[in-house]
Amino acid sequence: MAENVKQFKPLDPLLHSELRLAVMSILVGVEDADFVYIKAQTGSTSGNLSVQIDKLSSAGYIEVEKTFKGKKPCTICRITEKGREAFAEYVDTLKQYLAL
Amino acid sequence: METIEKKENLSTENSLRIITETMERSRMAIAKNSGKTILMWGVLVAVTSIVVYFLWSKTGSPVWNLLWFAMGAIGGIGTAINSRNREKVPVNEISRVVGKTWMWYGIMTTAFYALIWVAAYIKSKCCGGGIINVNITLIIVMMMGIAGVVSGVVMKMKSIVACCVVATLLSVLVALLVNGPEQILVFTILGVVALVIPGLILQNKGKSLNK
Repeated sequence: MAENVKQFKPLDPLLHSELRLAVMSILVGVEDADFVYIKAQTGSTSGNLSVQIDKLSSAGYIEVEKTFKGKKPCTICRITEKGREAFAEYVDTLKQYLAL
Repeated sequence: METIEKKENLSTENSLRIITETMERSRMAIAKNSGKTILMWGVLVAVTSIVVYFLWSKTGSPVWNLLWFAMGAIGGIGTAINSRNREKVPVNEISRVVGKTWMWYGIMTTAFYALIWVAAYIKSKCCGGGIINVNITLIIVMMMGIAGVVSGVVMKMKSIVACCVVATLLSVLVALLVNGPEQILVFTILGVVALVIPGLILQNKGKSLNK
């Protein structure tokens, strides 16, 4: 009986959040993206986005580079190999859940 | 645009929707950015072709074709200023391929045009005649059409592919049938149909996604 129950892998809790998932979805398709672009694409607030970016960065899913564009500070985010793998695994697990 | 804020109770369907929508929105933001550059070059090509046609017809001298080099310089400066001023949009594989395709089209066309002059000079020095029998417009038009079609295919924009195919075939036909200053007007067709219209299509797509 237990053999018939399909075992689903748990979804990565770090990616299973709207904003963090949106940030990763942007970064997975580009070389890098700056904070202003991510904020515009997700429509999030600066404070919330900063917190979520820090969480992704602490997990090693993205790299954050703080530079200057002229005199203005500029935060550039880049997905790491670990982040790319985690995102691919998350999508695979989602497909299992949705039986795609 | 729907605001994404902190919502932890995500359904699997919602997760998939967020991934798909965010990727598509980002893809179109990048495409819209390419649209501005394509539009600018389209206007430059169309205006330059009309100016060259007018001056060549008035003076009877094809030397006015050298204005194409000036157009290349103006376009290059315009592209640099445009990319500095506009909001920072990231580079993805699509924008890289489209950018490199048009960059190499520009380089190869300039080199091709310069080589014709070099060949004509060499021929005049050693063979007594400096005329090279080649339909320059036809070759440049074909190269431009291919660059446009490649851009449309990479961006998955069927309307751009269609515009470029129609404009190229029409221009090739005109380039085969017409000679002299009138032949230059094929670039007006190409500039408008293969560059200005696709540029506007890309900009409108980007705008509609941001609503």
